[in-house]
This record gives sequence, C-alpha cells and structure tokens, in this order.
Amino acid sequence: MNLLEKLDFPTAFRELSPILIQGLGIVLGATLCGFFLALLLGTLIALGRISKVVLLDRMLIILLEIVRGTPLLVQLVYMYYVVPLLITIVGQLWDPSFRFTLSPFTAGVIGLGINYGCYLSEVIRSAITSVDKGQFEAALALGYTNRQAMWLIVIPQAVRIALPTFGNYIIMMIKDTSLLAFITVSELLLRTQAYASQTFLTIESYTLLALAYLVLSLPLAQIVRIMERRLTRHV
Amino acid sequence: MCDVMIEVRDLRKSFGSNEILKGINMTVKKGEKVVIIGPSGSGKSTFLRCLNFLEIPTSGTVRIDGHYFVKPNEKLNEKHVAALRTEIGMVFQRFNLFPTMTALENVMAAQMKIRKKSKEAARETAEKYLRKVGLAERMNYYPSQLSGGQQQRVAIARALAMEPKAMLFDEATSALDPELVGEVLNVIRELAEEGMTMVLVTHEMKFAKEVGDRIIFMDGGVIVEEGHPKEFFHHPKEERTKAFIKKVEH
Ligand SMILES: Nc1ncnc2c1ncn2[C@@H]1O[C@H](COP(=O)(O)OP(=O)(O)OP(=O)(O)O)[C@@H](O)[C@H]1O
Ligand SMILES: [Mg+2]
Repeated sequence: MNLLEKLDFPTAFRELSPILIQGLGIVLGATLCGFFLALLLGTLIALGRISKVVLLDRMLIILLEIVRGTPLLVQLVYMYYVVPLLITIVGQLWDPSFRFTLSPFTAGVIGLGINYGCYLSEVIRSAITSVDKGQFEAALALGYTNRQAMWLIVIPQAVRIALPTFGNYIIMMIKDTSLLAFITVSELLLRTQAYASQTFLTIESYTLLALAYLVLSLPLAQIVRIMERRLTRHV
Repeated sequence: MCDVMIEVRDLRKSFGSNEILKGINMTVKKGEKVVIIGPSGSGKSTFLRCLNFLEIPTSGTVRIDGHYFVKPNEKLNEKHVAALRTEIGMVFQRFNLFPTMTALENVMAAQMKIRKKSKEAARETAEKYLRKVGLAERMNYYPSQLSGGQQQRVAIARALAMEPKAMLFDEATSALDPELVGEVLNVIRELAEEGMTMVLVTHEMKFAKEVGDRIIFMDGGVIVEEGHPKEFFHHPKEERTKAFIKKVEH
C-alpha cells in the first residue's frame, strides 16, 4: 500500500477546517482568560515582592519555585483532577454532602493563569524596578501619593518595557493551550485526534493542525515586533 | 501672616547607623533665595530632599508657610505630606521628565491629577510656563527629542505650573553640557528676580553670588557658616569655609 497515493489533503482540508475553526474559539477564549488572569496574578505577585515584606516575599518565592519546578501539563492535570477533590475534602468537614468540581475549561484557564502569572511576575517586577527611581520621586515632588505615582507614572512605563515580552508570552500560551487536550478540553489537538482516528488521514490532519497554529502565531509575532519598535521610541 | 516660608528645626537624618544630617536649623523668608554649597557627600541633597519629605527626617521638624509636614508627636499622614509637597516645586539634577509624555503633557499631568484643573485650564497654564522658559515651539516634543538644557527648562515649567510657594533646585545644571548651562541659569535668574522663594544647591559659585541673598556652607552634616554672599566669599570666618572657597575658586 502506497501512502503517497492515498494522501488526500483536499478532503482533509474541507472536513477538518470547519472543525478547527470551531475549536479556535476555545483556544482564543482560554488564551484571553488565562492571560488576563496571569497578568492580574503576575502584577500582584510582583508588587508583593517589591513591597519588601519579608514573610510575604518568602511565601511568594516558594510559590514561584513550585510552579517553575513542575511541568505545566502536570499542573493542568492537578488542577483538573486533584484540586477539586482537595476542595471537596475540606468542604466536607462542614457539610458532608459538599461536592466541588471544575469544568475542564475553567480548570485549564486557572492552571494556565497561575503558571503564566508566575513567569510574568518576574517580567513585571524587573520592568518596574528598571524604571528610573527619579520618575517616582518626580511624581511625589509634584504631589502624587505613593500609590498614584506607582500606578500613574511608574507602571505605565513598566508596561511599555514589558509589553513586547507579554506578546511573546501570549504566543506561547496559544501554543500551550494544546495541553488542555489532556484534560478533555476540545481544543484543536483533541479535535484533530478525533478526526484523524475516524478517517485515518493521519499525515493530513496533523499537518493541517500544525499549519493552523502557525497561522495563529506568525502574524502575532509580527505584531509584537512592530509594537516593540513603536513603544521603545520615546523610552 | 508671618513672613517665614520654610522653617527647619533641629533636623537630623540617618541612613542606618550613619548620621548624615546632624541637627540643622534654617529659616527661609518669603522671597528669599538661599544657596547651599559644600563638598561632595556633605549632605546637601539629603537636606534639600528633607525639605519636601522625599527623605523622611529621623527627627526634627520642617514647616512650610506655617504648616508642619508632620506635627511633633503625630503620625505621618501620606495624603497631607503629598498635599504639602504640591506647594513646593523641585527641580532635579537629572530632570526626571516623564518620557512617555510630550513636554506639554509633562507640564499638564499633575495640574489635572493633583490640582484637579480641567484640561483646558491646565493646557493654558502649561503653555504660559513653557513660553516663559522659552519652549513654546517645542511643546509637542518628547523629552528624548530635547536637549538636556531644554529638558531641564521643561522640568522647571512643570514645577512652576503647580504654582508652588517655593522652589528647590538640586544642582539643576550639573548634568548639562557646559554650553547648555547658561540657558537654564537664565530661567532660574529670572524666577529669582520675580521674587520666588528658592533654596538652591549648586556648584556654580558665580551664580551663587549673583542670585543668593544668603549662602549656607554645609560640611559633615552641619551648617558650618552662613552669610550674605559678599561677606561670605570675601571674609569667611571658619577655616573649613576658607579652605573650601579656595578650592572651588581655582
Ligand atoms: N538613600 C541613602 N542611603 C544611604 N546613604 C545615603 C542615601 N542617600 C545619601 N546617602 C549618603 O549620605 C551622604 C550625603 O549624601 P548627599 O547626596 O546628601 O551629599 P551631597 O552633599 O548632595 O553630595 P554631592 O555634592 O556629591 O551631590 C553620602 O555619604 C551618601 O552616601
Ligand atoms: Mg547632591
């Protein structure tokens, strides 16, 4: 049997494309929610560490070590299968009928958010500390409170410094949503698997899948490059 | 109304166990120009920064136009400190303009945020002061597109636009190329002539003589000697002052 003769890209394209396009919503939704959560967590962790409260700093460092020392896939599996059970156990201390579950999508978004939040916190922290201290003082001297100076003067400059890096993390997260397949989120990989096993169009299906990710990430990478140039113009 | 603008009583400041300011008393009258000079590391910047509480004194009091930053035996109130800082303009050695804003926006931002002025009113005031420092044509430039001297003049306009009661200058020309020093000194000189109360730290002795109503010589965290410029430069009393003047005039 000659594999080459049996290749049927047109059919695979016709049938798989609509399926992938449906999955696209999930990929973009998970990335959007996950990244928003990551930004929020990352900013809080960064500010917590900058605040120089020793105990808080220690606790945050432990969290960072745990998250960076374990694979994202394991974290996602843990978030989907284990965390709801742990919460159920604790809840049943009060109410024996208590049961807690997370939908695959929610667990995935939380897992991605925490994982990326830890990495982003370092990006945000170094961006904030790289803003000249004189900026903060100039704002104080004009009558800004500490908080106003931080949020209105320092953080906007830090965001400019960090934005291109954020862009690269978004692209990474889009690709990492493929891991959500392992916790039964029907994103692109899971859909492709299902299609390939039905039709035996293995080469065609996974090639198209890879192309789909490229189509998503290449333009974004270009946008990041343009952004990088524009934002650093006046810094 | 009393005619004292800045009153400092027994001001001390330590960093860790290192005492930098060792009990300073100073009174600046309304409209007076006081110039602080002294060797590097003598605590001039630290003292100036204590005047608007960018450094929080370890002990002692600072009063601006009769208002304490922190009343004796009371706790520091951040809002009150910020409000009082608004009344004092400060110009830094390294300009510290906000790089993401144009010159105009730099001068407008705090007026709107802190003085709660409308955009139109802030813009009008900003244009007035940018014109005053000779930069009306450059108001839509970003700091990175301006020379050091121009940036410092924008920084002065930004401080003036808050209509402060007094201005602090910490070596406002030290970071400038020599040919740009003059344009900044001219702006400060003009301000002095208009009667602004000012405390200046500078290494420009000629300028100090010219604008200062009083010279204060600091060394080792204390005021060693002070006096009228003529008196101070021609008939210094203390040995340390004599040695310093000799050094800077050669
Ligand atoms: N935040 C700080 N922490 C620790 N030490 C400090 C701090 N700020 C200043 N100092 C120390 O205080 C001393 C006085 O510094 P200051 O900047 O006030 O001197 P200065 O008279 O302005 O000197 P220069 O003419 O070089 O500007 C220096 O020894 C400096 O190292
Ligand atoms: Mg200094």
